[in-house]
Amino acid sequence: MRVWDLPIRLFHWLLTGLIAFSWWTAEYDHLDWHIWSGCAILTLLIFRLLWGFVGSSTARFASFVRGPKSVVRYLRGSRWDAVGHTPLGALSVIALLLLLSLQVGLGLIAEDEDGIYFGPLAHLVSTDTSDTARDIHALNFDLILALIALHIGALLYYRFVRGKGLTLPMIIGRARVDAPVQPMQPAKWWVAALCLAVALGITRWVIAGAPPFGS
Amino acid sequence: MVRTACVALGAIVLLSCSASKSNQANAASNSVAASAEARTPPKLTHDQALALMKQRNDNMKAMGDAAGKVGKSFQSGSPDLNVIRQAAAQIASLAPKVVSWFPAGTGPDVGKTRAKAEIWQKPEDFASKAHDLSQAATDFNDAAKLGDMNRIKVTFGAMGKTCKACHDLYRAPEH
Repeated sequence: MRVWDLPIRLFHWLLTGLIAFSWWTAEYDHLDWHIWSGCAILTLLIFRLLWGFVGSSTARFASFVRGPKSVVRYLRGSRWDAVGHTPLGALSVIALLLLLSLQVGLGLIAEDEDGIYFGPLAHLVSTDTSDTARDIHALNFDLILALIALHIGALLYYRFVRGKGLTLPMIIGRARVDAPVQPMQPAKWWVAALCLAVALGITRWVIAGAPPFGS
Repeated sequence: MVRTACVALGAIVLLSCSASKSNQANAASNSVAASAEARTPPKLTHDQALALMKQRNDNMKAMGDAAGKVGKSFQSGSPDLNVIRQAAAQIASLAPKVVSWFPAGTGPDVGKTRAKAEIWQKPEDFASKAHDLSQAATDFNDAAKLGDMNRIKVTFGAMGKTCKACHDLYRAPEH
């Protein structure tokens, strides 16, 4: 049964690769590549935001963002059979997307301590603000790492305790589902193309220095 | 254990009278520079060493901040020559002093610093890299005085490379 559409899977694995690359370039002082990697992640996040409103059913925020009551009910063991994010997993998805958005936002206005490398919007804020943004950017990454560890922990738990592999479906998009549930309702491919075009356009605008291109 | 306590104590003393300490650091810095030529480095007291290290950090930060203002000025799309001139003059006045901020006894074994021990193991290479910065800072300052934006850009970029060349080898990571 179809669970994840191609845009979501590409988003997931490109994001995985770019986070690893951003980490590596920060650790080994390749800040020019680090900034480009951050801009690529910005594109992905904008795409994901749009796809969360107009994408396939399992990608839509409306299908997986739930109130605390359903999360508690789910945690108390009430049966949950739909395809897509579980109420608890959804919390982790939202937390990751929020922290990553914060991370990119901070990176956009940060500068390195030597005054050599700048996020594309750093000129819009003071040196002190850029310095503070860099410090929080570093701290926030630890939070992101913690969430990633939780994410992988949950995968291992499902694999070895629940006997359910979740990684393969994120690669091939399909999963074996026994319960009689609705499969994913796919969105049109050209909607995805449109979302991507908008995301690239906004990123291009940011790289140019935003508002009226600089100043 | 004893060393940690000393560092902590030093830091408290430093914080409680930072103004007088920085004067003392200036004096220490000058005497170190003077005596380095005579090849008889005096032994620094622990407090003197910590004061020097703090001032070194402040000076380095001042140079980084000044460079950052220039970079942002360019990034804004309408570079401000006054901002650039002020920053260039500040960097050019600090750069020739860099080596004097690293007297023996101000390394990572003495207190919290990102200066690596290699600085004192390869003093000639370190001094040559500091000299590169000093030269590049002069070039940048000259260009800023002339006001030729293209030359300013080129010399500023070249100066950034000399910062990085030294930091890559002799500065430990921030975290």
